[in-house]
Amino acid sequence: MNWTSRLLLIPWLMIISMFILVIIGTMALYSASDGVWTMSVKQHLIRSAIGFLIAFFIAFLPINWLFRTSFLVWFAFVCVLMLLPFIGVGAGATRWINLGVMNFQPSEPTKIAVILLLARYLSLRTFDQIDKIAIYIPAIFIIGIPSALVLRQPDLGTGLMILVGGLAVIFVSGLPKKYVFLGLGTVGASIPIIWGQLYDYQKARLLTFLNPEKDILGAGWQITQSKIALGSGGLFGKGFLQGSQSQLDYLPEKQTDFVFTLIGEEFGFVGSITIILIYFLIILSITSIGLKSKNRFTRLVSSGLGMIVFLYVFINIAMVTGVLPVVGAPLPLLSYGGTAMLTVFVILGICINLSINRDKEDLEIS
Amino acid sequence: MAKKRKEIQEVANQISKRMFLVGSLQIGFGLILIGRLYQLQILDSDSYLKLSDKNQFDHRLVIAPRGRLLDSKNRLLAGNSEVFELVVIPARTMNLELLLIEIDNIVGLSKKEIEDILVIAKNQPDFIEISIKSDLTQRELSHLAIRSALLEGVLFQKNYNRIYPQGKLLSHVTGYVSGITAREVEKDRKLQRLVGLKTGKSGLEKTLDDSLRGIAGKERIEVNSRGKPVRFISDSVPKQGRDHKLTIDMDIQSYAVNRLKLGNSEQVEMAQSSVQEAINNNDELKAHINIGETMILKDANSRYVPPEAGAVVLMDIHTGAVISMVSSPAYDPNLFAGRISNRAWHNINKHPRVPLLNRVIAGLYSPGSTFKMVVYAAALEAGVISTDASYNCKGFFEFGDRDFYCWQEKGHGVVNGRQAIAQSCDVYFYQIALKTGIERIHNMAKRMGLGEITNVGIPDEKVGIMPNREWKKNTRGTVWTPGETVIAGIGQGFVLTTPIQLSVMTARLANGKKAVKATLLSEATKNPDDFPPLDISSSVLREIQRSMRSVISSGRGTARKYELNGYGLAGKTGTVQVKRISKAEREEGIIDNIDRRWKDRDHALFVGYAPYDKPKYAISVIVEHGGSGSSMAAPIARDILQFALERHVT
Repeated sequence: MNWTSRLLLIPWLMIISMFILVIIGTMALYSASDGVWTMSVKQHLIRSAIGFLIAFFIAFLPINWLFRTSFLVWFAFVCVLMLLPFIGVGAGATRWINLGVMNFQPSEPTKIAVILLLARYLSLRTFDQIDKIAIYIPAIFIIGIPSALVLRQPDLGTGLMILVGGLAVIFVSGLPKKYVFLGLGTVGASIPIIWGQLYDYQKARLLTFLNPEKDILGAGWQITQSKIALGSGGLFGKGFLQGSQSQLDYLPEKQTDFVFTLIGEEFGFVGSITIILIYFLIILSITSIGLKSKNRFTRLVSSGLGMIVFLYVFINIAMVTGVLPVVGAPLPLLSYGGTAMLTVFVILGICINLSINRDKEDLEIS
Repeated sequence: MAKKRKEIQEVANQISKRMFLVGSLQIGFGLILIGRLYQLQILDSDSYLKLSDKNQFDHRLVIAPRGRLLDSKNRLLAGNSEVFELVVIPARTMNLELLLIEIDNIVGLSKKEIEDILVIAKNQPDFIEISIKSDLTQRELSHLAIRSALLEGVLFQKNYNRIYPQGKLLSHVTGYVSGITAREVEKDRKLQRLVGLKTGKSGLEKTLDDSLRGIAGKERIEVNSRGKPVRFISDSVPKQGRDHKLTIDMDIQSYAVNRLKLGNSEQVEMAQSSVQEAINNNDELKAHINIGETMILKDANSRYVPPEAGAVVLMDIHTGAVISMVSSPAYDPNLFAGRISNRAWHNINKHPRVPLLNRVIAGLYSPGSTFKMVVYAAALEAGVISTDASYNCKGFFEFGDRDFYCWQEKGHGVVNGRQAIAQSCDVYFYQIALKTGIERIHNMAKRMGLGEITNVGIPDEKVGIMPNREWKKNTRGTVWTPGETVIAGIGQGFVLTTPIQLSVMTARLANGKKAVKATLLSEATKNPDDFPPLDISSSVLREIQRSMRSVISSGRGTARKYELNGYGLAGKTGTVQVKRISKAEREEGIIDNIDRRWKDRDHALFVGYAPYDKPKYAISVIVEHGGSGSSMAAPIARDILQFALERHVT
């Protein structure tokens, strides 16, 4: 395969979309810093640049390597997650490891590790095995162990993302319909049990979500202010640097989890829709890599990664618009904050890699 | 191998199908988000915009500077000085009490002030500002500004303090302003939003309040989530209240105030140790010093006494313009502009001579002998007597089983009407009052403006009493007796008038043609021809005027000593008994006024006008417990008229 045709296989749409989002994110952070070129704005740009470098590094790793190391990577992250209560940092919930230059959140890349291992495991199942329930038990463990560890941190958002992302891969791999329905039934039945397992603050968040106006100055404050900011943005927004909710600090976490609200306030419905469309272009790119690929591993990985990106976008925007409770989920590339963005760049790297190698059929044999 | 390939293909198809399914689900969820954003940003945008606006801005009304009051020569009577006010918004503070203690450390607040603010805070919504201190000094302002970052919820506000450069000289005319009261807020809820607004509580400040207040401006203050103001945006500039020009002439007013207060006594130097000693030993003097009095007098018996109390009204007989309106004692309206101290309020409110009372419009006095013109005019008009009719005064008049005494124990002998006025013979008027009857006297009095509200412009004016049969039946439920007509004939008994009414009466008598009305406002001053006709025959009026002139010009006139040289004065004295004189006292000989307790002395009255030939001003003077109308009130009236006439040589 020559260079030019390889170049054509690179998912340019995804790269360009991400690049645009990084630029928009930088502008949003600039606005959130009261129109001052602060450290965090510069850092966002620098981190993005590093992110692109990491993505290209991963892009040109041998695809087999991704395949083969997936168990090791998964195992490594599970170990880190288990050790986290002892080596981690964080107020209230121990989610981070202090790496000196940044606080690293191991649960973020764990999402990818779970997808990779799951894809590897499921892509090796034969046609006959697919219908057998027993083969899905290891898959449940691959998902269950890390997601349980993350949920106990506690980190509801990330834990659920690992769970849903993994289940999506199982579903795509060909889980028979009866088990799909069985699974959905089980989830429905276990809601009360999960409720019992939740921490008080998580319960409070869920209750606040159900009726935010009841507690306007307490936990409902964030979501109420976020809705006011978005709603007051109208069709075209109040203009760059003109968002009164953001500029006057009514909007909490405007640099991180609520950055979408800031954009929605300053650029209105048009701005919000544009952001969503760009994210869906990325999700579409990822999915199309899988659809065009000839091997199962690539297809499963791409649907898993697509689901991860979708979940990032959906959970965050649903949260800031009051559709979901406040769970503390960033919007990668726009939000200031390292690990989630890094995760998305790793996803980009893997996607480029998969895309270039999408014509390799027999990954499992080599 | 073929089978395997087929199986792989089948799995691939299955995966593709599932990927499409997942993709559709994702798109579906994406559409939910878009729908939600459509709802927030398009459908409900307006209401969120309002909420955002409410977050962003504090809408505030900016108090307009109050209109000014000026005298007839455009001298400032009531104006504004700019002050900075410290206000707090309780909603924006963590702990109001601690904050106030913090502020106390910087500007100094009394315990009572802190308590007051806490009480106010408890009784109103916490987003409404409360004034902490209304006139910050430059020094306090800079001290507060340095620490303002630490004082959450505290703002500075520009405000205006009302100032009255004339101080006590005109307090009863201007009145005063003070903070909005709960009762005012009840009447007009909007007032609550005008923090620091002061409204007129008395005098013209109250009458003209709406016009003086102006129109509040609208302002938006951009506030961040911590209640710190970021930016001020003015939506409409406050419109200053209207200025009002008064008919008062401050030069004459100032002269009249001092002349009334001086009476017939001699002003002493306050610094003298004997005066200071007298002040320390005399509660009455002390009470006057406590309301800012600087005049102490020495009376004919060489006692230190406070200035005279009473009222003076000087008015133009053609236009009704009130040139001077004096009520003594007075208070300093400037005291009310800030937050009046309890002590200052106590001193004014509990003062034995009631400085808050505007005697001119709310002081009720028997007109005494100044009422005799009304009786004489009523009798002449009714034709019950002629100008030649004479009666013999033996010093008393027997009627029924009672003796009605003349002030002149020896009696006046045979007097006609004009002589009776000049010498103020009571017996003459007892008799003609009886002949005329109370109804005719009542009607004549009403036409002269007695027992009628003058609407001169000061609120809470008293109407007085102008009795007749109907009045007695309605108020006492009993029948009018002729004896009551007799006593009404000399302006005593039920008859009660205010000084302003007496001045209107005098102005109408002097004018002769028009029923002049008194006014304090230049813009309300009418063209002399626009008043309704007085409708009293000119021959009757001529006789009254000549009689009034003879009070001064005749050798036996009660005010013969007080001619207004070069102009000619006409008038009438009045001496009103405050305490009933018992028969025993009368037989023993009545004690001289000066030897009685102040409270028991007679009121001294004088009404008059000048110049006699070409009348310009009418005056009424009442000196409370001043002794006799001729010795006390007449010279005061004469001097004030002279001062006014000499100033207005035209």
